[in-house]
Amino acid sequence: MPDREQLQAEFVEEWRDNGYGCFSSGHKFCREVCPVMQVTRNENHTPTAFHANIVALEQGGLSIEDLAEDYIHCTMCGACELRCPNTLFTGDFYRHRTRTVDVVKAVRALLVQAGIEQPNWKRWVEATVDRKSEPVLDVPIEQERVAEWAAGLDLPVGGETILFCDCEAAFYRTSVPRATAMVLTAAGVEFGLMREQWCCGGPAAEMGYVDQARSFAEHNVADWRTVGARRIITLDPHDYITFTEDYPAYFGDDYDFEIVHITELVAELIADGRLALTVPVERTATYHDPCRLNKRKGIYESPRAILRAIPGLTFRDVDRVTQWSYCSGAGGGFAIERPDIAAEISRRRMARAAELDVDILISGCVWSERPLTARGEERDPAIEVRDLMELVAEAAGIDLGGVKG
Amino acid sequence: MTATALDDPVLEELRQILGGDHVLTSRTSRFNRTRVPAPFPVHRWSEYLPDVAVLPTSAEQIAEVVKLANRLRIPIVARAGGTGLADGAVPLRGGIVVDVKLMNRILDIDLVDRTVTVQPGINMLKLNEELKKHGVFYPDDPASYPCSLVGGRIGTSGWSLIGGRYGHTRDLVISMQLVLPTGDIIEVGDGGGRKIRKSSTGFQLKHLFMGHQGTLGICTEATLELVPRAEAEFAAFFGYPDFETAYRSTGALTKSGLATLAGVVLFDEQKVDYLRRDDEAYIPQPPELRSVIATAMYGTLDEVKPAARRLMRIARETGGDYLGDEVSQGDWASRHDRYATPLHGRLRDGTVVPMCWHCEDAAIVYSALPDVRREWHAIAERYIEGYGIFDDWGMFFYTNGPYKPWGDYLVEIDIGIWEQRLDDETWAAWVECKREIAEVSLRYGGSITACHGATRAGDVELVPLEMGGGFEVMKQIKRALDPNNIMNPGKYLLDQAYEDG
Repeated sequence: MPDREQLQAEFVEEWRDNGYGCFSSGHKFCREVCPVMQVTRNENHTPTAFHANIVALEQGGLSIEDLAEDYIHCTMCGACELRCPNTLFTGDFYRHRTRTVDVVKAVRALLVQAGIEQPNWKRWVEATVDRKSEPVLDVPIEQERVAEWAAGLDLPVGGETILFCDCEAAFYRTSVPRATAMVLTAAGVEFGLMREQWCCGGPAAEMGYVDQARSFAEHNVADWRTVGARRIITLDPHDYITFTEDYPAYFGDDYDFEIVHITELVAELIADGRLALTVPVERTATYHDPCRLNKRKGIYESPRAILRAIPGLTFRDVDRVTQWSYCSGAGGGFAIERPDIAAEISRRRMARAAELDVDILISGCVWSERPLTARGEERDPAIEVRDLMELVAEAAGIDLGGVKG
Repeated sequence: MTATALDDPVLEELRQILGGDHVLTSRTSRFNRTRVPAPFPVHRWSEYLPDVAVLPTSAEQIAEVVKLANRLRIPIVARAGGTGLADGAVPLRGGIVVDVKLMNRILDIDLVDRTVTVQPGINMLKLNEELKKHGVFYPDDPASYPCSLVGGRIGTSGWSLIGGRYGHTRDLVISMQLVLPTGDIIEVGDGGGRKIRKSSTGFQLKHLFMGHQGTLGICTEATLELVPRAEAEFAAFFGYPDFETAYRSTGALTKSGLATLAGVVLFDEQKVDYLRRDDEAYIPQPPELRSVIATAMYGTLDEVKPAARRLMRIARETGGDYLGDEVSQGDWASRHDRYATPLHGRLRDGTVVPMCWHCEDAAIVYSALPDVRREWHAIAERYIEGYGIFDDWGMFFYTNGPYKPWGDYLVEIDIGIWEQRLDDETWAAWVECKREIAEVSLRYGGSITACHGATRAGDVELVPLEMGGGFEVMKQIKRALDPNNIMNPGKYLLDQAYEDG
């Protein structure tokens, strides 16, 4: 076990200046957009506290073990970074960005390194290492079934373009990858699957298990290289973050894959006339901006372009900035350790949707869809939750073939 | 004397009152309920820790906590947003921090009698998101609008950027419920009646319980003014060749009699220089632009349209150049975000270092603004030269009167402080710098602070001087309401109230 004092000193050296950027500002504008803070109202869970604690570590007022409980309380949605005046008003000039998500990740990694673990995360990561896919709840996870969602679609293995299917999508909401694959096929996009897909490793990284995360990455990249892949299509925003942020950090310049998110690609296919949406979907819908697309990657136009192209759909949009303070609660491993708070976050998200008098909420994040569906079913009248690709498939006249979703 | 170390039976009693989850004793819970954004002696952080933080959900719980504290002589410090620029929410003697953030419900929206009743932990932006659905808003608009909370606005008696049209916090709070230092729950307004704006019954107690910085009680509910959502907003920024011209133009604009004029902000030459460092709105401005005025009007379209024409004419005739729609609308829209960030800090040689923002505010009459400005910058200059960790970020002058934009001004000088380099010597220098600045305010017939409060070292020593005989009354009131000195002890020199008896 590494020496905790040494670990703490190295951590402070790396993060103190970023921490001081927030500490010295002290605006706390992040507080009311933070989905966790909106529920707990506990100052310990604020981005401000996450940064100030680093200064307190430097001062000797805190030590590593003091941090464990508080840093669970983050979904890594990134709202705080956008709402930070330091990012807003000095980003261009000083190339500064407040890095709360990175700080939380780094603290969680520090804690694991120091031997301070959270029981549910530990179990989750151990099970992921064991099964190669995340232990998504309520369904059996066996690696040989990782591509079972594609049964009967005759998808090839390998090729220049690979569709990467998220764990939750592969084992639980199989209608999402199925719809995605069938939509791409209908539009004439050539793609294949991996020989053996493992978890992207992002969740392990978010929970602080750096080595395990890296081993998943190494497997997946090796698999991509073996099958000659150049381009990876993601259907889940969490994978998109992992492949565009974590993997480049692991592999440096050697990492030369093009990562394309499905909404960007499908919006292009529609605009180019390669995908025709002709079947009316007579529903009143709103759209849930997945945090990792909207807040962390600035992808908010393509999903809206797709929704506007669906005939018959009444689309009641809520602008992307208002949605900075929305979240499903499903990210950053938060729901695994604090399911009650996470459920309240998704309950509040669905209450926002209900104010718009819609009968369906469309999301673009498969991880958000299970908690949002549960909270939507609680409501009277209920609000259905569907994935954008499921809706696109319906509008394209594609029958998914009776799979779960 | 007051005890500071809490033993297990006290914590157990708190848990009985609040439930275990709402009694926080961890080190991070205490460290993060210690400071506010005002400059802080970081190197002495641990001297300001509370012993425990509690998160109540009702007035009754707060009353029970206060009764416990009063019985056992435990210091109690109220904390809402913790965004204040004085030290109201900073514990000086440990004890219990009563953090009201969980009390953030809207209790009643009365569109007939035009009031909204809220708990103290609600934020104004969040409140207005709800009120928007009803075509009304609560116009308390400080720089900290996206993060400060109603309870803290009351505790500090806040100031609003658009107060020239709509009034300031004390004008917008109609009545409130509060817990006294003995644990009694009372309601106060101008007189009685939760929704009465003007009364002649009894003492005007509402004012007594605003701006006391947590020394007289804890607000648990507030009934606030609702105003119609403005149909029209007009913001205009003007450039001037020098401060003096802009100063005269400010006088002309504020005395124009335009009732929709919500606020006028004068930026001096040092402020414009500071903005030119890195602000995309100011970098491209021509060098002859050296001072700026920002104005904003709110009202119906029928009022604002002709008033805006007259405002533009007055500004033009008094030497102002309109800076265009993009700067005017953009800067006004982002007014809360852009006032200070640490990366603006520069040493004399131009090195960028992260600096904490100190905003020293005062209330000063119009006629004294040029002299106060000259003296304040001269003081700042001496300390910058002397210590190498300070930076002059210029001055703003904001209209300060409620419902009228003339007369006196909230004057602020923004000083950057390189907190990472603070030690006992530089902290003492900083306190001395503040004291000199406050002395100038008093010498020109002003008040040490327009909106932050004067509880900090450097300011607080001068409070008896500013208040005169009124300070004796303050002490008598403090002792009468808080016989055991448990409410935020050590603040406002109010320990003196207990010294002779």
